[in-house]
Amino acid sequence: MTKAQALADAAVRLAPALLGVGLFVLVGLASVAALWRQADVTQWAGYLAQPYLWRLVRFSLWQALLSSGVSLLLAVAVASCLCHRNFWGKEALLQGFALSMVVPTLVAVLGIVVVYGRSGWLNQWFGLELPLYGLLGIVLAHVFFNMPLAVRLLLQGYALIPGGQWRLASQLGFGRWAAFWLIEWPYVRRVLPGAFVLVFMLCFSSFAVVLSLGGGPRSSTLEVAIYQALRFDFDIGRATFLSLLQMLICGVMAALVYRLSTPPPLDVSLWPRRVPGLRDSGWARTLDGAALTLALLWVVPPFLAILGPVGSPTFMATLWAPATWRAVGVSLSLAVPAALLSVALGLAFAVGARAAMERPGWAWLPQQLEQLGNWILVMPALVLATGLFLLLRDAGWSAVPNHAIVVWVNAVMALPFVLRALLPAVYQYEKRYRRLYQSLGVRGWTRVLRDWPLLRRSVAQALGYAMLLSLGDMGVIALFGSQGLVSLPLYLYQLIGTYRLQEGASVAVLLVLLCALLFMACTRGIGGPAPKVGVGHA
Amino acid sequence: MRQGVWLFAWRAVVLTAALGASGASLARPTLNVYTYDSFASSYGPGPKIKANFEKICDCVLNWVTADSSGGVLARVQLEGAKTQADVVLGLDLNLMERARQTGLLAESGVDTGVVNLPGGWRDPVFVPFDHGYFAFVYDANRLANPPQSLQEVVDNPKLRVIYQDPRTSTPGLGLLLWMKAVYGDQAAEAWAKLATHTVTVTKSWYEGYSLYLKGEADVVLSYTTSPAYHVVAEGKTNYRAALAREGYYPQVEVAAMLKNAPNRALAQRFMRFVLEPGFQGEVATGNWMFPVVDQAQPLPAVFAELPQPTRVLTLPALRVQAQQRAWLAEWLEATTR
Repeated sequence: MTKAQALADAAVRLAPALLGVGLFVLVGLASVAALWRQADVTQWAGYLAQPYLWRLVRFSLWQALLSSGVSLLLAVAVASCLCHRNFWGKEALLQGFALSMVVPTLVAVLGIVVVYGRSGWLNQWFGLELPLYGLLGIVLAHVFFNMPLAVRLLLQGYALIPGGQWRLASQLGFGRWAAFWLIEWPYVRRVLPGAFVLVFMLCFSSFAVVLSLGGGPRSSTLEVAIYQALRFDFDIGRATFLSLLQMLICGVMAALVYRLSTPPPLDVSLWPRRVPGLRDSGWARTLDGAALTLALLWVVPPFLAILGPVGSPTFMATLWAPATWRAVGVSLSLAVPAALLSVALGLAFAVGARAAMERPGWAWLPQQLEQLGNWILVMPALVLATGLFLLLRDAGWSAVPNHAIVVWVNAVMALPFVLRALLPAVYQYEKRYRRLYQSLGVRGWTRVLRDWPLLRRSVAQALGYAMLLSLGDMGVIALFGSQGLVSLPLYLYQLIGTYRLQEGASVAVLLVLLCALLFMACTRGIGGPAPKVGVGHA
Repeated sequence: MRQGVWLFAWRAVVLTAALGASGASLARPTLNVYTYDSFASSYGPGPKIKANFEKICDCVLNWVTADSSGGVLARVQLEGAKTQADVVLGLDLNLMERARQTGLLAESGVDTGVVNLPGGWRDPVFVPFDHGYFAFVYDANRLANPPQSLQEVVDNPKLRVIYQDPRTSTPGLGLLLWMKAVYGDQAAEAWAKLATHTVTVTKSWYEGYSLYLKGEADVVLSYTTSPAYHVVAEGKTNYRAALAREGYYPQVEVAAMLKNAPNRALAQRFMRFVLEPGFQGEVATGNWMFPVVDQAQPLPAVFAELPQPTRVLTLPALRVQAQQRAWLAEWLEATTR
């Protein structure tokens, strides 16, 4: 085969993947271009000179670094513990960990306040009043949202550790400490930068949480200024500028972090993955116990507070209200297609990245593709939606149904999470089996069928994440919402916006339960039987 | 493959639904009214107003909603001359000038002589539909000596206060203007004093109010009409609006018609309807605000018990428009010092 032939052949095989990535990039660029046309670039130097802006940037950075640092530190300890120890309720805990990020911000803030606030449990039962409003409250909330997510991401890294290494460690009588540094750390180090960047970006662009628990305007992030520019001043130019600045800062941060990361360890072993019991010690038990207790204390009480309304008369009445079920219907009609679309896009990215791996001249591509997905995170939903709105307006496609726009934006917004779930596994199996597949000529559908049993858990997890995020989404619907599109989160805010806090709290419970159900359906239904994360006995 | 099938099925469903909806409305003309979310929600006054208007107009009233009044205006501005909106509903005093300057709004032609707002109402473009006053709300069971004035809220270092961010919320902006109207050049010092006993400053009204109801503060910035909700809907009489000896700052919500309204005649009819009983009768217990026209049917008794302003403070709209940025900077400087 000549070189040109090979290239053409590759292009045909990769056509669906290229189409997916291309569509994503095109729509993204066109939206940014639509925003750009509204912007007056000559004013940008003036914006940069404002000290207010730099105060916002400084605070955003500081709280995001602190929040993501605490989240990941705790997550590493918890993930290691969960990998090595079995206990009653571990599965449920892991499933529950997926839910924290979909809790609507207001509901989570109220949950935290019910536990730590002035009239909260901590004060009522132990007489302990924390200085909640300020950095403490912000970090409490951000760790509540993100630490569980980080644990799940890290466990995906753990799942890639080949069984042979564990066996060896067990035979050599490794303690947990030695096992952590020699076996786990290389894999943790591999997923850590991605997880850090994800959590950092989420915290950096956090808005309502920071304002609510921040205790005053001293705690405001760049996102506040973006919202202000778009909603109160209708200054699309400034909003664009601020969004680009936010992207730039997060981009620099991501570049720094990825520089620290090591090339993934090459692993071609095919041992079945089981984690045999390692030599235990008092220290290991204490550390594990402490990490797990801290994590549970952090996450569980606010959840209990959120689930408080279950069984109350208001909850039952809300459950019977037809409006509630209409909202559930709308939410599903948005979340299901958005999740499928998001996973389809994610697979397109993954296949593109896989094809480029270890090819001379193309090795840079996988990481860039991963980054491309991440950019979405720091693009505020409102700006993204505005850009898309302008694009459609300028193109004269006013007939595109709002429904489709919301689905697209939700799918795109979930992409960073989908990529996190998909890429590590795709890379790993590519490394393990590429030579074998090449030598046997396995490609196309045959390859898909071979890969499916290996990848289905990651695909299921990606789908679950995308579904959760789309179900919990609020930002996009706000701009495109029309009377027909009252999703569950929007319904919740409608209730709270008309004083009906109890009904709102009940809808929040329903939202969380629905998320749990759908996430289970995805991970169990598509992902196959319950994953074995932990001690197995071969 | 499976995904393709699902996508296709979903498109089919959406398309069918869209066709069904347009089929139903073919017979009668549609009036698109853009408003904020809670107004049109099933708990707001929207559904009843829609039913009342459709009885007399032989048309379909279609609410199109955005997240806030700022969002409503932003959407109209985004759509520009190609807008689908006939009427925008829910802008307030402080958004009026910005809205006027877009040049997208038309004169209403409505006689606003019946409007009973203090000082009357003369504006060729905007027609008011309800009003209220910003106020700090407290719980009489927990606060024995409630503040009697704005100054007592500001000066009492033991009073835990929650208010909303003027950069992101309507009541927050209202407080900014209220403080300016009361304190004038001394506003910065007053803000600094208030900051020492402020619990937090939230993004939106509902966040602050929710935190307050969870017991996080002694007073929260809301409306004089807020207690009416607790009485009528919950039977609770302990929530009260604090008095303000200096006078209250008003919130007036308005409607306006678009120059490029696709359905101008209907829009004009609706603008008149805004001041008729079919609309005015629904705002008190639907939107928890005062109507702007005297009603034949009296309001629920609780509205009469709400504090009535002895003085209404209003800063001229043009001055607000011109100074807003400077006042925001002043607030920010004073509270982050």
